[in-house]
Amino acid sequence: MLKNFIKIAWRNLYKNKTFSLIHILGLTMGITVCLMIFLYITNEFSVDSFHKQGKNIYRVMRGFDPAKPRTAYLSGPYAPALLNDYPQDIKMAVRVRPQNNLVSFGEKAFNEQKVYATDPGFFKLFSFPLIKGDATTALENPNSVVLTETTAKKYFGSTENAMGKVIQIDKTLQLKVTGIAKDVPSNSHLDFDIVFPIANYTKDAGFNVWINNGLFVYLLLNEHSTQSALESHFTQFMDKYMSKDMQRFGAKFDLKLTPLKGIYFEDASSFDNVRHGDKTVVFIFISIAVLIMLIACINFMNLSTIRAVERSKEVGMRKVMGALRNHLIIQFIGESLLLALISCAISVGLLLMLMPWYNQLLGYKLSVAWNEPPIYLFLVGVILIVGLLAGSYPAFFLSAFSPIEALKGKLRLGKGGTLLRQSLVVLQFSISVLLIIGTIVIMNQMHYIKSKSLGYDKAQTVIVSIDNNDIYDHRRQFKDELQNSGVVSSVSLMSGQPGGFFDTHTFTAEGQHDVFRSRTEFADFEYVKTLGLKIIAGRDFSTQFATDTTNAVLLNRTAAKELGYTPQQALGKWIRNNGRDDKPRTIVGVVEDFNFLSLKENMDALVIAPNDDRRVAVIKLKPGNIPAALASIKEIYAKVAPVYPFEYSFLDQQFNTTYKNDIRQQAMLSIFSGLAIFIACLGLFGLASFTAAKRTKEIGVRKVLGSSVTNILLLLSKDMLKPVLLATVIAMPIGYYCMNKWLQNFAYRTTLHWWIFVLAAVLTFLIALFTISFKSLKAALANPVKSLRSE
Amino acid sequence: MAGMMQEAPMIKITNLEKFYRTEEVETIALNKLSIEIATGEFVAIMGPSGCGKSTLLNILGMLDDPDAGSYVFNDIEVAHFTERKRADLRKHNIGFVFQSFNLIDELTVFENVELPLIYTGVASAERVKRVEEVLDKMQIMHRRNHYPQQLSGGQQQRVAIARAVVNKPKLILADEPTGNLDSSNGNDVMELLTDLNEQGTTIIMVTHSEHDARYSHRIIRLLDGQSVMENIMV
Ligand SMILES: Nc1ncnc2c1ncn2[C@@H]1O[C@H](COP(=O)(O)OP(=O)(O)OP(=O)(O)O)[C@@H](O)[C@H]1O
Ligand SMILES: [Mg+2]
Repeated sequence: MLKNFIKIAWRNLYKNKTFSLIHILGLTMGITVCLMIFLYITNEFSVDSFHKQGKNIYRVMRGFDPAKPRTAYLSGPYAPALLNDYPQDIKMAVRVRPQNNLVSFGEKAFNEQKVYATDPGFFKLFSFPLIKGDATTALENPNSVVLTETTAKKYFGSTENAMGKVIQIDKTLQLKVTGIAKDVPSNSHLDFDIVFPIANYTKDAGFNVWINNGLFVYLLLNEHSTQSALESHFTQFMDKYMSKDMQRFGAKFDLKLTPLKGIYFEDASSFDNVRHGDKTVVFIFISIAVLIMLIACINFMNLSTIRAVERSKEVGMRKVMGALRNHLIIQFIGESLLLALISCAISVGLLLMLMPWYNQLLGYKLSVAWNEPPIYLFLVGVILIVGLLAGSYPAFFLSAFSPIEALKGKLRLGKGGTLLRQSLVVLQFSISVLLIIGTIVIMNQMHYIKSKSLGYDKAQTVIVSIDNNDIYDHRRQFKDELQNSGVVSSVSLMSGQPGGFFDTHTFTAEGQHDVFRSRTEFADFEYVKTLGLKIIAGRDFSTQFATDTTNAVLLNRTAAKELGYTPQQALGKWIRNNGRDDKPRTIVGVVEDFNFLSLKENMDALVIAPNDDRRVAVIKLKPGNIPAALASIKEIYAKVAPVYPFEYSFLDQQFNTTYKNDIRQQAMLSIFSGLAIFIACLGLFGLASFTAAKRTKEIGVRKVLGSSVTNILLLLSKDMLKPVLLATVIAMPIGYYCMNKWLQNFAYRTTLHWWIFVLAAVLTFLIALFTISFKSLKAALANPVKSLRSE
Repeated sequence: MAGMMQEAPMIKITNLEKFYRTEEVETIALNKLSIEIATGEFVAIMGPSGCGKSTLLNILGMLDDPDAGSYVFNDIEVAHFTERKRADLRKHNIGFVFQSFNLIDELTVFENVELPLIYTGVASAERVKRVEEVLDKMQIMHRRNHYPQQLSGGQQQRVAIARAVVNKPKLILADEPTGNLDSSNGNDVMELLTDLNEQGTTIIMVTHSEHDARYSHRIIRLLDGQSVMENIMV
């Protein structure tokens, strides 16, 4: 019996190649997309779950402004103080300071971006496995270092060679390799290449200053302690150690704990340089997976039902010979299970092939747990859901017919059936239109952001980080030589380039009772000129005023407004950075607002002052030969910081960094919505083939009676296009609502133009029309004599 | 010879009624029809188009149930049997031959004939034996691996008959078995049915052809769902 089932199922697949192909193709694409999204989501939710002590690990967060999210950056003294004051709650405290360093071994020297200086307990607290060396002792000695496998290979060719070798950090520190860690998986918020003891810095002058924030503190709580128990001590803790500082800044700082598992999905705008995920994106992707699967399943149901009708004779004959209803149900469901199984197998193969490309699209390597049950459970689940869900409708529908009706081939799909099928098609196309609208809106928004005037000049501007001691110590020389080189029109050293880092500080300002909070830019006198900002009141910093360095400050328009002044009124008023200035500075000028933050954020107040803090050199090139100019800059860089590799980026590329995730989302959404409409069209194609086949005789008769090809084409397409039209109408308001919501992510956004919706509708309609007319045309052009004889 | 039977008839229907209701009209397909058919008989049912012949055959074959009346098959009242019981009785006792053959296109000749044996749960080796036997008898053994579309009409009907008899049913119901065949192929089919009848199978055949009807023992003529005349062949 089973053999017979499989045999006939297989023959059916084989005999109806078009249908089988549509089935399998649609389903395979659906399942592949779902698998991809499934992997992505499991990866997202598996972040940091591999740490064995994970449920007792917390990161300490510091609040400095009730209106802003807390930051993870703390200073050196917190961890020892916490450990000292609350030994009954805290078992271990580990500081992690992310930094970049010049690392060299012999001839090889790289500017390593992912270096952690940590307390020796790092590998005891976190479960990053060591391939070589001992996790408990690897960082005991201050002069030790642990490399990841890839890093070890980069410097030493192999992990065997690496152990015991001495590498040099920033030309000053000699560290012996005492351990090799497995490469950090993508499902970890921490990401490092090199780890060495923070003990090498604890004696530095600034390290033990409470307000010099620059490292993360991770705590391992005792089994019997809890997050809230420890947090309840924090107010007292801050009063004990920070009361003076809080007084000076005129602000209250507080501490909170974030459980390890919560760190990844924390607000990503906190700028803490660890990997973050976005729950909205996860939600969007789950929705897409469900929608695409729905489209694929609907195809499956519709086409199976139609196919099954064509098999009514078989159904009838089987019943005549004694087949019971459940035999037939089993057979039809069996067939759809078989199809689902085949599609799943192909999907897995396809996925393996697409994996490298997918990783590239995502921007990181997914850790696929092929040796763990979830993925198999997922596959079995998909087969069962698709097989049962999509197979049961035709199964129950068909097996319910009496054998006589079935034999007469009279299994007309009834009014109800047609309605159901049409509704399903409407649903499919609504989803497709929705996804198309989504894609267009996102593309449009990205285009808007890309082309929006940001209020500063980003063309032909090179950014060089001042990220090592050599370049820092010789930054003036670097700047002067650049200015004299002839290829540069101006150079400015500053704390953050537009789109980069802008720390929030507290200020005391003339006539203000409350502390004034503002973003800060610490920059030299060439700032306004280099970025092409517009002065709207007063003047720029100038060397003609010898006291500007210590006495002057510029505001942006928003800062002036938040202080309650027009740009003109702000001039001459004083303002003091509580943390940085000994005495007040005078506002000498106001610049027009420019988008120094991502366009997702609203315009913020900015105070531009010449205090110390230079992290980047922004170099505006003269128009002309860019490669030649870069070569000159490189030469100058090599002169002042000879051992460091020259690295640079362009200011206008900053866009791609800032909107990295949005660009990825856009790419993925376009691909997925393309797939969705393709799968939906596969179904439409199937329906069109069926309609054309069913009406062959009718078309023949009509042609004999004198109908033209155009008339017949119109006749066939009209009915098919109705559901598509309806779908468009339904999808539009939903699309409007969803995309309006998405756009709220951006402080600066395009309007939802009417043409987006028209375009989506027209696009869908044309694709559908093309799909349908392919079959309809064939039917319309067929020789009527032939189609009539076939009856 | 009819009516003189001592034993109980194989089929006894009494006051059988069947209606078809559509939105607009109600058709009385069978109107208080009473018929008896004895084991081993060869009966032809004739009558104008639409008089209820196929309807009667479907009910006799337990493919459909009557709206009123009684149907006793081998001393069992089956008029109100459940689908499952009817299917069970049917697959062991009744073979069908249709005007349009109704072979399954996806299966070969061999597999088509094998199908009823699968539903009655015959073991695989036994199935092969019986299918080959019957294909041999129908002289289509050489076509065993062909698909129905690759056969002529006459050959297809022989396969259909093979399928109907492979289970050795007590009763064969044939609805215009020669309707789609030329006279030579038609005669072949009639010879086959006659042979089967001579070997003890009861046969009820619907036909429009007086020529074919002459192969039977008895002709029942229907008009508007009622039996109007019975001719007994000599
Ligand atoms: N499914 C149905 N729905 C409605 N009416 C039906 C149905 N099947 C049969 N009838 C009606 O019942 C009557 C008897 O039909 P039946 O098929 O038994 O006729 P028949 O004697 O076999 O005719 P023919 O010689 O043309 O095959 C006819 O009037 C027919 O229209
Ligand atoms: Mg009939």
